[in-house]
Amino acid sequence: MEALQYLADGFTIALQWHNLVYAFVGVLIGTSVGVLPGIGPMSGVALLLPVTASLTNGLSPEQAAASALILLAGVYYGAMYGGSTTSILLNTPGESSSVVTTLDGYQMARQGRAGAALSIAAIGSFVAGIVALVALVFLAQPLSEVALTFGPAEYFSLMILGLCAVSGLGGKSMTKALIMTVFGLLLATIGIDNVSGVARFTYDIPDLYQGLEFLTIAVGLFALGEVFKTILEADGTEAQLIKVDRILPTKADLKRSAAPIARGSLLGFFIGLLPGAGATLASFFSYIVEKKVSRQPERFGKGAIEGVAAPESANNAASGGAMIPLLTLGIPGSGTTAILMGALLMYNVQPGPLLFSDHPQVAWGLIASMFIGNVMLLILNLPLVKVFAKIIETPPQYLIPLIIAISVFGVYAVQISTFDLMLLIACGVAGYLLAKNDFPLAPLVLGLVLGPMIENNMRRALTTSNGDFLIFLQKPLSAIFLACALLWLVVPMILKLRGRQVVVNEEA
Amino acid sequence: MNKTFDRTSSILFALIGALFVAESRNISTSAYGSEVGPNLFPMGLGIILILLSLRLFWETFRYRESVTSAVVLRHKRFLLMLLATVLYAWFLEDIGYVISTFFFLLAGFRLMGSASWWKSAAVALAFSGGVYAVYVHILKGTLPGFPTWLGL
Repeated sequence: MEALQYLADGFTIALQWHNLVYAFVGVLIGTSVGVLPGIGPMSGVALLLPVTASLTNGLSPEQAAASALILLAGVYYGAMYGGSTTSILLNTPGESSSVVTTLDGYQMARQGRAGAALSIAAIGSFVAGIVALVALVFLAQPLSEVALTFGPAEYFSLMILGLCAVSGLGGKSMTKALIMTVFGLLLATIGIDNVSGVARFTYDIPDLYQGLEFLTIAVGLFALGEVFKTILEADGTEAQLIKVDRILPTKADLKRSAAPIARGSLLGFFIGLLPGAGATLASFFSYIVEKKVSRQPERFGKGAIEGVAAPESANNAASGGAMIPLLTLGIPGSGTTAILMGALLMYNVQPGPLLFSDHPQVAWGLIASMFIGNVMLLILNLPLVKVFAKIIETPPQYLIPLIIAISVFGVYAVQISTFDLMLLIACGVAGYLLAKNDFPLAPLVLGLVLGPMIENNMRRALTTSNGDFLIFLQKPLSAIFLACALLWLVVPMILKLRGRQVVVNEEA
Repeated sequence: MNKTFDRTSSILFALIGALFVAESRNISTSAYGSEVGPNLFPMGLGIILILLSLRLFWETFRYRESVTSAVVLRHKRFLLMLLATVLYAWFLEDIGYVISTFFFLLAGFRLMGSASWWKSAAVALAFSGGVYAVYVHILKGTLPGFPTWLGL
């Protein structure tokens, strides 16, 4: 019951008025970002990262970290929810995890049940969020205690496992995903080596001594990259928006979706726990499961409410589940959690097993605020569905330049250097080109965040073993992690060779 | 998939890997108290990157080029926006945040197809002035102010 005590402490932090405001703003912005076509959860969080850094300027580092994380996490699940709105009303998913929702959601909207679909998505997301949170509360402490027994060798192998998992499921081509991972790791070595103090790859350029700033690269790759894509590819035709009439679902709708929501939440949560398998996979799987379980599978694709309820709950539960490896092990399993981790590191808060003992305010405050954020999401979304539907109509000619201006402002406000602005633009162009040619971006960011930690742990382990690489295989846990990492790469390859279709996780 | 891009990028990534390997030879090979120096990690990664690039290059011979979708790319609009963004970033410190942002947004709105000068100017002014006022005066952050030769 210790966990409940901590949770109560967390609530006292999350209920401070400024943190309530942050959670509210985060959820509000997140939902808008999710609704806006072209910006998904990842670019939304990246875009707001520097803004939160400047908003929390005056607070003490701990408080600032807690508040910033509360806001960013709000953006994260707000955006996850917002993505469903466009799926239902426009038949264009706001992000990849809402792709499945279009199948039945849009059909429901065409039958005049848009309101019911939207509200069931909100209710499903809410229930899933709560399920994920309860599990998080009870799993976090024990898991981090296990993780405390890890030495550098175990950590190194665990992080390799994380990277392999993300690359193995990372996109259409595993080679490309691995290239991006290694490239991210290499970029992370630029700057002063923090073990020996030697400058690496800096060529006497002062801007490089600190290393390439994570924030600049993330904002560039995700936010600017997507903006550039819209500039190049948008054809200017406007999609037909379906009007929302009745908002509340009928009793029959609720009854029908109760079980799918429960199944979707549980399934989503466990899929979210796995590194690499994110919200997109979760939503796909839960849709397939519902179709299998249903007594009338032929109704799916023609506006079955189960087909909206299950995937929408699953993708929200998965984003909650993804917080567990991030908070307890310090290993982000997806692009968005990598950015959240980057945010924590910016505030000098190291996610991982020590987070719960060193910075309990941050950890438990965040967990409690996720609960509050979910309540806000529900309160905000049911009555405001019509307002959010209006956001879709924001004229792109104003939106696009404003997003660029916000990115520039954000990066400049934190870095105060023209060099970073140029790097930002270069990353934007690179992000567009790479994503267009199926190079996934999430592994790169993950490599960039994990790089210094992997290197430190590797060198610490090798120092204790006098440079003998076998230490990673002699420690049993470490060997298991490495074996899993290998399997994660080999199994999809074998499946592909056999001609099976492998479900891949696109950016989420 | 685009073969030309995949091939070019695989060569590029191999070169990057080679660069890291070559340059890491100039970094000391041991750190105090440890046989493992700061050169090991980048060098190993560089080698892996070269191998992966070779594999990607090899893969380009194995798949058939998929038909490119008929999306018309608006290169002119993109290049102009890119130019505007680069100029904005370059002159941000010289002419100050409010002025540079105003002109960038005005140009951006027009480039993206906003019909009215007045509306564009109003939105641009509201954003640049608003952000500056809130960030610098209320949140006490730092942004380049107005250039001194304006005498403000």
